[in-house]
Amino acid sequence: MIVSYGEVLGLAVCLFFMGMICVATRRNLIMILIGVEIMLNASGIAFVGAALRWRSLDGQAFVLFLMAVAAAEVAVGLALIVYAHRHTGTINGDKYNLMKG
Amino acid sequence: MKTALITLLIAPLLGALYQIVFGNRSPRRLAEVVSCAVILVSFVMATVAFFLPGQQETIVLGHWITVDTFSATMDIHCDSLAAIMALMVTFVSLLITIYSVSYMSHDHDYARYFAYLNLFVFFMLVIVLADNLLFLFLGWEGVGFCSYALIGFRYEALANARAGRKAFLLTRIGDIGLGIAISLFFVTCHTLSITAINAQATSLSAGAAMTLGFLLLWSATGKSAQLPLLVWLPDAMAGPTPVSALIHAATMVTAGVYLLIRLFPVISQAPEVLLAIASVGTATALFAACAAMVQRDIKRVLAYSTISQVGYMFLAIGVGDIIGSMFHLLTHAFFKSLLFLSAGAVIHALHDERDITKMGESVRRHLPAVFIVFLAGSLALGGVPPAAGFFSKGRILLATLQHGGMAYKAIWVCATFTALLTTLYTFRLFFMVFTGKPAVPRKSGIRAVPQLMEWVLWPLALFALFAGFLNLPHLQAGGGWLAGYLAGTPGAVADLHATPSLEWAVENGDSLLALGGLILAYFLYGPKNILGWRTLDASARKATTWLFSGFGLDRLYEIFWVTPYEKISQFLWHTVDETFLDQGLLRVTNLFPLLANTLQGFSSGILSTSIKMLLFGFAAFLIFLAV
Repeated sequence: MIVSYGEVLGLAVCLFFMGMICVATRRNLIMILIGVEIMLNASGIAFVGAALRWRSLDGQAFVLFLMAVAAAEVAVGLALIVYAHRHTGTINGDKYNLMKG
Repeated sequence: MKTALITLLIAPLLGALYQIVFGNRSPRRLAEVVSCAVILVSFVMATVAFFLPGQQETIVLGHWITVDTFSATMDIHCDSLAAIMALMVTFVSLLITIYSVSYMSHDHDYARYFAYLNLFVFFMLVIVLADNLLFLFLGWEGVGFCSYALIGFRYEALANARAGRKAFLLTRIGDIGLGIAISLFFVTCHTLSITAINAQATSLSAGAAMTLGFLLLWSATGKSAQLPLLVWLPDAMAGPTPVSALIHAATMVTAGVYLLIRLFPVISQAPEVLLAIASVGTATALFAACAAMVQRDIKRVLAYSTISQVGYMFLAIGVGDIIGSMFHLLTHAFFKSLLFLSAGAVIHALHDERDITKMGESVRRHLPAVFIVFLAGSLALGGVPPAAGFFSKGRILLATLQHGGMAYKAIWVCATFTALLTTLYTFRLFFMVFTGKPAVPRKSGIRAVPQLMEWVLWPLALFALFAGFLNLPHLQAGGGWLAGYLAGTPGAVADLHATPSLEWAVENGDSLLALGGLILAYFLYGPKNILGWRTLDASARKATTWLFSGFGLDRLYEIFWVTPYEKISQFLWHTVDETFLDQGLLRVTNLFPLLANTLQGFSSGILSTSIKMLLFGFAAFLIFLAV
């Protein structure tokens, strides 16, 4: 293996944190959704790396599932955002305060 | 025999069920006939059980509770004692139920009355026949309930309901004693069967026998209205007169005596208990006789005399003569129910007038039959020979005199003095009700008494006069039949073994005492009012008011029991419950809105904050797992 498993994990952690920061700091719902996607893909990288490291195809098979789930999630998420935008006229997440106690 | 016993027990229960379910729907006459018929069936069966040979029969009706080694079976045990008691109970009940038909003829609530009356007979027979103590306890509580329900039968008047409640609560105090005794019997004897307990009574340790004896005495004082739990009985006269005759004279109040007789082998193991029983009995007899001397309510006089006579039965047990006790129990049942029923007839005729100072010669002229039977009852109660009371009381006095020890000599003196008082108050009652001019003019007229009411008095009068011949002293030929019949009862002493001269002396002494009392009563309260006490009674004086209120025993209860109890209840209610508990709970509940208001600030509804919190939480969780 040219790239060591540690380096793969390092990349995955970096991506995960970047996605997390994106989710935590951005107000735009689309950006939050993108952040979530990045986090998902980070975990996908970790899976592929692990599959190579232990020579087992299970991890790669898992990534296929992950992609399918991510695609479905984006489809539903974007549809929800469009719907929300049509109703409230904004996609700023902090403007939605229906959950206030 | 088996069928007879089961029918004897079950018939009144079926009668009660009939009254409860169909009583108000069936024609009145049918309800009355059924209530009498079931008792008649019981009476016939009791007669069969009484005369059939091969007594000592135990029948298991069913298992009530069985846990591990503990078992409460519903079994009935019929020996000569139970047979004669059952015969007496059913006989008196039968006559009183017939009397009640006439007595209740104007009451629309007859179904309830007959239901309770039949139910009472059932429970009483349970006490008489039960072999298992827990089964006996069922009957014991059952008669208490029926007594309560019947005292307060006319509950529209608050006083009646109160009297019922008082009777119920005071007898409950005694029942606690029986409850503890039953538990203790199971612990010490590992069985609740009376026959089994009596069989192993001698192996009881002295301490256990004494504790059990005192507990039994305690329970008997409640039910049998002895000192210090007697105050309920005079108030129980609020009930209809037949009820007073049946429950509060003939049967239920003697249940305590019967219990002590049944468990006599246990009691006799502890001489202290016997002395206590004798003392309680004598003290009560003297106390109640004094109170009866000044009562103006005809039924209250009889109530106090019942207490006094039951005291004699206790005394007989205390000196170890249970046959004497049983003998007096039987004769007392006859003459006291007779007196109560004839008093009921007088009260009925005088439009519910109970004050004896308002009665007089006119009563005798209008009710000649009642006059004669009342005289028979008075002779029996007063112990004038040869009426029943003379023999039964005589035997008790003789047994007391024969019993060794200074304490028993003192008791004998008291008991003999009480016998004189008994004659005195009995004939005071008799003279004031039936002779002379009323001390206080009476407004109401006199109406005739229904025939049926008078008829049932005659058999009772016969028994009141001649029941003494059941057990004549040994001096006469053919004496001691009852003693012979009951000789098989555990702990019974058939023959007192008195020397003829002693027996002769006691008999003559008793006769002289009774005649002396009779003559004294004539001078004090007679129709000619020779010494003027007759009219004296009408005005209340200090000494008589004190006696009138039964030595202020009610007042003592008021001061030492009721008032502190009320104070404690008030304290528990207002201070502990309302202030402490309720307010405390309110404070606790007030905390919840406070908490909610604080927590409300955290749910801002801002999405980014929620996500951040989620991530922080998750990070904290991971750190926790890693460390």
